[in-house]
Amino acid sequence: MNTTRRHFLSKLSLGIGSVALGSLLIPDLFKGGGELDSDALMAGLPHFAPKAKRVIYLFQNGAPSQLDLFDYKPMLNKMHGQDLPESIRGGQRLTGMTANQAKFPLAGSVFSFKQHGKSGAWMSELLPHMASIADDLCIIKTLNTEAINHDPALTFFQTGAQVGNRPSMGAWLSYGLGSENQNLPGFCVLLSRGKGNGQGVYSKLWTNGFLDSVHQGVQFSSGENPVLYLNDPDGMDRTQRRNMLDKLAALNEGTYNEFGDPEITAKVQQYEMAFRMQTAVPQITDMSKEPESIVKMYGPECLVPGTYAANCLLARKLSEQGVRFVQLYHQGWDSHGGLPNEIKGQCMDVDQASAALVTDLKQRGLLDETLVIWGGEFGRTNYCQGTLTKDNYGRDHHPRAFTVWMAGGGIKPGVVYGETDEFGYNIAKDPVHVHDFHATILNQLGLDHEKLIYKHQGRRYRLTDVAGKLVKGIIA
Amino acid sequence: MRRFFSDWKGLAFNLAFFLNVLLVFLLLFESRFQVPFWMQALGRMHPLVLHFPLVALILYSIWVFVVEKPDSTRWNAEVAESLLIIGALTAAIAAFSGFVLSKEDGYESGTLLWHKWLGVAISLLSIGWYASRKYLTPWKIPSKIVAAAFLLILFIGGHLGGNLTHGEDFLISPLGPSETAGTQVALEDAEVYEHLVKPVLEQKCLSCHNEEKSKGNLQMQTQALLLKGGKNGALWDTTKADLGLLISRVHLPLDDKKHMPPRGKVQLTEEEVVLLAAWVKGGSRFDQKVSALSPQNPVYAYAQNVLGGGRVEEQYDFTAADPEDVKKLTTSYRLIRPLSAESPALFVNFYNSANFKSEEIEALAPLKTQIVSMDLSKMPVKDADLKSLAQFPELRRLILNFTDVTGASLSELKKLTHLKELSLSGTAVKAADVKALETFPSLKKVYIWSTALSNDELAALKKGQKIAFETGFRSDTVVLPLTPPMIENENQIIKKNALISMKHQIPQTVIRYTIDGTEPDSLASPAYTKPFALDKNTTLKARAFRQGWYGSKKIEKRFFIAGIHIDSARLEKPADRRYAGKGGTTLIDEVKSENEQNSGKWLGYNEDFQGYLYFNKPVEASKITLSMLRNLGGSIFPPTKIEVWGGADEKSLKLLKTLNPEMPAKDIPGVETMLFEATFAPQQLSCIKLVAKSLAKLPAWHPGKGNKAWVFVDEVFVN
Repeated sequence: MNTTRRHFLSKLSLGIGSVALGSLLIPDLFKGGGELDSDALMAGLPHFAPKAKRVIYLFQNGAPSQLDLFDYKPMLNKMHGQDLPESIRGGQRLTGMTANQAKFPLAGSVFSFKQHGKSGAWMSELLPHMASIADDLCIIKTLNTEAINHDPALTFFQTGAQVGNRPSMGAWLSYGLGSENQNLPGFCVLLSRGKGNGQGVYSKLWTNGFLDSVHQGVQFSSGENPVLYLNDPDGMDRTQRRNMLDKLAALNEGTYNEFGDPEITAKVQQYEMAFRMQTAVPQITDMSKEPESIVKMYGPECLVPGTYAANCLLARKLSEQGVRFVQLYHQGWDSHGGLPNEIKGQCMDVDQASAALVTDLKQRGLLDETLVIWGGEFGRTNYCQGTLTKDNYGRDHHPRAFTVWMAGGGIKPGVVYGETDEFGYNIAKDPVHVHDFHATILNQLGLDHEKLIYKHQGRRYRLTDVAGKLVKGIIA
Repeated sequence: MRRFFSDWKGLAFNLAFFLNVLLVFLLLFESRFQVPFWMQALGRMHPLVLHFPLVALILYSIWVFVVEKPDSTRWNAEVAESLLIIGALTAAIAAFSGFVLSKEDGYESGTLLWHKWLGVAISLLSIGWYASRKYLTPWKIPSKIVAAAFLLILFIGGHLGGNLTHGEDFLISPLGPSETAGTQVALEDAEVYEHLVKPVLEQKCLSCHNEEKSKGNLQMQTQALLLKGGKNGALWDTTKADLGLLISRVHLPLDDKKHMPPRGKVQLTEEEVVLLAAWVKGGSRFDQKVSALSPQNPVYAYAQNVLGGGRVEEQYDFTAADPEDVKKLTTSYRLIRPLSAESPALFVNFYNSANFKSEEIEALAPLKTQIVSMDLSKMPVKDADLKSLAQFPELRRLILNFTDVTGASLSELKKLTHLKELSLSGTAVKAADVKALETFPSLKKVYIWSTALSNDELAALKKGQKIAFETGFRSDTVVLPLTPPMIENENQIIKKNALISMKHQIPQTVIRYTIDGTEPDSLASPAYTKPFALDKNTTLKARAFRQGWYGSKKIEKRFFIAGIHIDSARLEKPADRRYAGKGGTTLIDEVKSENEQNSGKWLGYNEDFQGYLYFNKPVEASKITLSMLRNLGGSIFPPTKIEVWGGADEKSLKLLKTLNPEMPAKDIPGVETMLFEATFAPQQLSCIKLVAKSLAKLPAWHPGKGNKAWVFVDEVFVN
C-alpha cells in the first residue's frame, strides 16, 4: 500500500460515499473534495444561467472616505466642530487611534457635491469622471462590515472570514466556474500605490486557502517580467522546454499512479499552463497596440507600468481574454490626517481610469457580462481624528456604513441603494452586509452561494459561511 | 404504596372519566367559554401530550390485532390493559388541552374542526373501550374491528393535526416537483395587482375573507368581490385622507379591535402595508404593469425586492449536445461550454490569434444546433469565414471585434435568424455594410466603435429605430495633458560623453529639451531624436508634446560627470547613526543621491565632517567638487568652511584650498544639492583630506536657533 493515510482515507470515503451513502449525503459534496482528474480546469459550471461571467474588483485599499466622495451629508457641514452625539455613536467601539480622544468633533466635507445622472446620485467634485458615468453605476451606500482594522477587514472582504487562510473570492470563483482561457490563470492580481497614507497588501488576500492550488491568484508585477519566473532561462528555447515538460509529466504520471495524490496532477497542469502563458502573457501586457482613443480614455498614465490606470487597462485586457477574476488593489486611502489633501491625490489616480474601464467594457459589449466593483474595506468616520480646522481634518476607520459601487454584470445601472442617517454614521435603510455582498456577486455569476461548498477537515465551508442573503434590490 | 399501585388503574380511569365529562360540558357551552390566561400554557402542551395516547393506543390496537388465543400469557394481557388505560387518560388530557389551544386565535379552519371532533371521539371511545374491555374479548372478531377503526381514526386525526402545524403539503412536498421554479415572473412583465397585491391578500387576508368564511361579510378572492366590499362598505376611497377602510384598518394600532389582520394572525410587513397604500392611492388599478411605474414609486421598489433578481433564462427549444463532442472539440485555444449546468446552449470563445485557422470554425459543425454565442475577437477572421459562421443557425451573439472582416460579405450572416447582437468594432466595415444590417431579422444591437465610420455616418445610423448602435468613446474632442517623458539613464553620475536617452510611452510623441538651464518649450527647444552626449555637469529639462494633447509637465535631472577614479576613502569619524550611508565608500561610489536625507546614500554629521581619499597611484588633479545637501528647515546648512588638503600620504598633507560658503541670511525653502568646487594649481596627489565645518549655532531666524547645524555629504569628484 504505497499511499498516505490521508489519501487512503479520502479514497476510501469516496468509494463508500459513492456507493453506500450516495444520495444520503449532500450532492456534489465530494465533487472537488478529492477528485481532480484532468478536467480540473474545466470543472464547474454555473448552477443557473449567469448574468456575469467575469469580475474586475477595483479594491481601494485603506478605505476611502465615503463622506468626501459619495455620501453627501450637509448636516456635518452645519454641525462642523460640534461633538458627535452619543446617541448616534451608540457605544460603537473605536480603534486605538481615536478611542482616547476627549472629543469627537464632526467634520463636514470641504468638497462640493452635485447630483449626477438620472438617478440623481450625489458625488463630490473629486470624481468628475465617475460622475459622468453615474447612470452606469449602482452605488450602494450601506455596506457594513464587522472588522474595524485594515487586516481583518480586508481579509473579511476577500475571503468572507476575518481570520486568514480561507480561500479568496477569486479562488472560490475559479473553483466554482473554472477558467475560461486555458492560457491564463483564472484569478489575477494587480497592485498599485497612491501617494496617500498606505496600508499593506499581502499574498494571503489572494490565497487559494484549502482549495487546490490552481485556484490561487497570480500576481502580475509592473516590471520587465509581469509574471515572475515565467520566462525560460537564457539559452533554453521553447522546444527544449517542451521536451523537458514532457519528460517531467511522464515522471509525474508515474508518481501519480503510485500515490494517487491529486496535487501531482494539479502541478502538471500548472506547468502546462505556464508554458502556454509564456506566449499569452506578452501579448496581453503589450500596451503598444492600444489606439490613442483608449490612451485618452484611461489617461496617459495608463502606459506607465505599475500605475492604477495601467492596471485598469491591463485588467480590461485580462478580463477580455477570459480571466475570471481580476483583483486590483490601489493603496493609499488611509487618511487619518490631512485627508483633504491626500484624497485629492488618490482621486487623481483612480477617477478617470475607473470610469474609463466601465466605459471601455461597455463599448466592447462586455459590460453586460463583466461585473466591476469599486470600494474599500470599510468607510471613514464622520468625526475628526486629530486636530480639526476649517479646511483640514482626518478621519478614522468606520465599519458601520460605507459606500461601494458596482457596474455591469446584471447589476441595475443608475441606482443608489440604501440610505444612511443624517450624520452618515448609521444605516437608515437597506443595509448590505459583506456576506450579502458576496452572496449577490456569486448569484450574478450563476452560483448559489449556499451550494458552492467545499469540505475541509470535516467542516463544510462557503464564501458566505452561514450567512448572506441576496440584495435583490440591485439585481437587474 | 402497594395499595396505590394495585389501584392506580382505577384512579386513572376516574380521572379520565372526569376529564371527559368536563370536555363534553365545555363543548356544549363552547361559545361561552373563554380561556383563562393561566390555562393557555396547558393548551400549548397539546403538541407534547398528544404523542402519549397515540403510542399507547396504537400499541394496544396492534396487540388486539395479533393476540390469538384466550390462553395467551397473563402477562401480555395485563401490560395491554395498562396500555389502554394510559392511552385513555392521556387521550383525555390531550383532547382537553387541544380544546383549550383551539380557542387561541389563528386556528379557524375546516381542518381544525375535523381534528377537534376526531380528538374528542378518540378520548371518549378509548375510555369507553376500557370500560367495556370485559365484554370485548380481544381474540374475537368484533374486537379486531374496533381496533382497526381505532387505528384509522388515530391516523386521520393525527395527520390532520400535523397539517395544522406544518401546513397542508408538508409530507408530500419533497416528493413533488421542487418549488415553483420558473413560474416567477420577470419584473418587466409583472402586473401590480396580479403579482404583487394579490399574493399579499392571499397570504394575509384570504383565510378569513373567503367563500366559506367571510368575516364582516367581506370576500377577497376576486377583483369583483374586492370592489364590492363588505358590510361596512367599500374597501377604499381615495378622496379620504386615510384612503378608506382597507388602508385605515391595517394602520390601526395592533391592540385596536378593528386592526387588520386581527391580533394573533400573521401580520402584514411594513413593506406590504406601504405597497397596499401606494396601490390604493394610485387608483387600485387591476391592469397596471410594474414597468409603467417610475422607479421612485414605492410599488416599484417593492416589486424590485420581491421579483428582482429573478433568473429569467432564455428557453431553448433544442436538445443538448453530446458532452463527449463538446469535450473533444474543446482545446486550449477554443473554449466550448454550456451557458449553465442545465442549459443545452453552448458558447464558444477563441483565444491566441497565432493559433487560429479558419478550419477552427468549421470544425464546430457537429455542435451547430447548440452554439448560441461565439467570440472571435482579435482572431484573424477573413470575409470568407463569414460563410462558415452562417452555418450556425442558433447563433444569438457574434463578436467579431478587431478581426480582418471588411464588411463586404456581412450579408451572409442574414441567414442567422436568431442573431441579436453583432460586434464589428475595430474592423474595416463601411457605412453601407452597416446600414444593410437593418434588414437582418432579429438583430437588436451592433457595436461599431473604433471603425472608420465618420461622425456623420454614425449619426445617420443612430437615427434608425431598429438597431441600437454602440459607437463608444470618441477621443477627438478630449484634450488631456501628456505624461512627462522618461529619462532612461538611471544614475546621475555619468562618464564624460556618455549618451543620454529619453523616451515617451506614446509612440511618435515629440520630446523637447534643454541643457542650458532654460525652460523647454514647444517651439524653440530642440526636439529629441537620438541619444546625445554630455561633457560637463548638466541639468537636463524636458517636456513632451503631441498633436491633440496638452504639453506635459517638465521633467528635470541633473547629471554629474564622473571624475578621476578614487581607490578608497576613510572617514575620520563615522557619520551619525541615522545617516551613516555605507561609510567612506559613499563618497566614492559614483552614485548620486536624490535630494532626500533618508535615502541611505548621504553621510550626515551634527559636527564637522572630515574624510580622506586615497589613490593607489599618484594622479594629477586641479579641482575637487564636493556634493552636499541643503535643507534649512531640517537644520542642514552649508558648511561654514571647507578645507582641501593634499599630498603623497597622510603625513605630508598641505592645505590646497579653503572655501567659505555663504551662509543663508533667511530661510530658503526646499531641499537641494549644492556643489562646492575647489580649484588649485595642478599637482600630483596620492592622498586628499577634506574638512567641512558645520555651523556651530543656528541663526536667530531659525526655529532651532542656537543649536548646532548639520552637514550632509554624498559624493566627491576629483578632476
